[in-house]
Amino acid sequence: MKRKQTTQKIMLYLLMIFISVITVGPFLITLFMALKSPGESIYGTIYPTDPTLSNFTDSFSKANFGLYFLNTFIVTAIAIPLNLLFCSLAAYPLARMDFRGRGVVLSLIIATMMVPFQLYMAPLFQLAGELGLRNSYIGLVVMQVATAFGIYLMRQAYLRIPKELEESAYLDGANRFQVWYRVALPLVKPTLVTLAIFTFMGTWGDYLWPLLNSTESSMYTLSIGLAQLSQNFDGSNLKLISAASILTTIPTLILFMALQKYFISGATDGAVKG
Amino acid sequence: MNKENIALPVSTTKTKVVRRKKKNLLTPWLFLLPSIVVLGTFLVIPIVEAFHWSLLDYKIIAGTGEFVGLANFKEIFTDTSFWLALWNTILFLIIVLPLNIFLPMILAVLVNQAIKGVSTFRILYYLPVVTPMVVAALMWKMLYSQSGPVSSIFVSLGLFDNPTNLLVQSSTALVAVSAITVWKGLGYYMIIYLAGLQSISKDVYESAEIDGANAFQKFWRITVPMLTPSVTLVSVMTIIAGMKVFEEIALTTGGGPAGATTTLVMYIYNKFMSLDVSIASAAGVVLLLLAIGASLLQMKLTSSREEDLRA
Repeated sequence: MKRKQTTQKIMLYLLMIFISVITVGPFLITLFMALKSPGESIYGTIYPTDPTLSNFTDSFSKANFGLYFLNTFIVTAIAIPLNLLFCSLAAYPLARMDFRGRGVVLSLIIATMMVPFQLYMAPLFQLAGELGLRNSYIGLVVMQVATAFGIYLMRQAYLRIPKELEESAYLDGANRFQVWYRVALPLVKPTLVTLAIFTFMGTWGDYLWPLLNSTESSMYTLSIGLAQLSQNFDGSNLKLISAASILTTIPTLILFMALQKYFISGATDGAVKG
Repeated sequence: MNKENIALPVSTTKTKVVRRKKKNLLTPWLFLLPSIVVLGTFLVIPIVEAFHWSLLDYKIIAGTGEFVGLANFKEIFTDTSFWLALWNTILFLIIVLPLNIFLPMILAVLVNQAIKGVSTFRILYYLPVVTPMVVAALMWKMLYSQSGPVSSIFVSLGLFDNPTNLLVQSSTALVAVSAITVWKGLGYYMIIYLAGLQSISKDVYESAEIDGANAFQKFWRITVPMLTPSVTLVSVMTIIAGMKVFEEIALTTGGGPAGATTTLVMYIYNKFMSLDVSIASAAGVVLLLLAIGASLLQMKLTSSREEDLRA
């Protein structure tokens, strides 16, 4: 009996390790590719025989990834605080105040969550041009600084907190904004972290909108830089693409490692997003 | 998750709010103002414009267009490449859906066990989810290349006589692209199932064990049926996300070979790129209608689930 259990356990671990090879293997192969020296053949061995960091330094010096990093960082740094502020503000009256038009606003917000970006990308592209937002940081973040999904997520969080806490603050003479800022907002901090993660992931890896709006290479984000680099998908360029891919992923991996708990709880919170 | 709250206008706060209502008519709108400005400008206006353009013969460079009624819709409905794109989208979903339902379920059952190291495995399975889609697409494009690892594995397994790039064969390209989507979503759907698994009572398994059920029987007879709500959720999310699949196709096959991976979104993108924005808008409206259909299906399925629970 005991022996049977042990074999079963070993089989189980082998299966779990096999699945890990599938989920993590592509990263390792990409990392190995990125570490290969210029003279080494691309598919000779999976691992690098003469490891070098030159592909990583080349992605900065030759492929301009330093600039793309900076652009992506700036866009993300604008998007996160603004989306958190605007969504947590907008969601509050939708959860806690009774006013004419609330139903309409709420329905509109939920309805827009269903609309695929590809429907309105052409009019948005034209609008961004007319407003002078082409090839600008503001132009890049317009889709992320206030999101219907964020408002929905924050509203759900406000609905979960007990009203009594806010009521007692009103009795102490606080106004709406003070109650929101001092009482409600601190209570939804975990959801703010979740929204920050969603905003980060949405902005850092965004592809289609930056592709349309950043027509000049000086305004490329990492995604666009990578896509441009991959136009030539062979030979030594493959090592450079691999290095740039690893560099692009590192910040998201660091964030994931640091905030795992929120990523996991956010996955179920975000299930409505589709 | 509280998805149910979508449909319910909230009226519970009414009584207590009423007494402050009169003097604060403007306050809620002040809270809403920044979001209304941003979403109104960059979301609502473009959406309304897209509907408008779908009825025009719009020239994006001139910035004008004449009203043509439903001519754009007529054009896409008689365009064989539109139907091919719609078919490819359906085919893509037919491939991805069963895989998304079952593979993450197995992963969730594995990492839900009380054995050493499961939390590490959970992290390893979640890594693809946090990878930017562009990176995932390029990594897999590399893995699929003719002399790359996927091809070598297939040759050594005897599935192919010669090294083959799955992405450039029209018979395998869509499957190869679907695999990227499935790979990237495994960890995400695993977490959805994990939440479902943790709501199943341990007593059910214990009484099954007393009755002599083995692990396999427990999985099929208890776990799978009890996970039905999660299966519904995963299915609907897969359908909604699958209809919008873009990056993994745009960056690997670009819709080829010969349109074999051109989905509805790729079709819209291509039309936009060739400046046929009115055709793109009309196809976008069709996509929206399909997305709304899927969302209504979701609401119907989740509400019938609630009724089941109440009964």
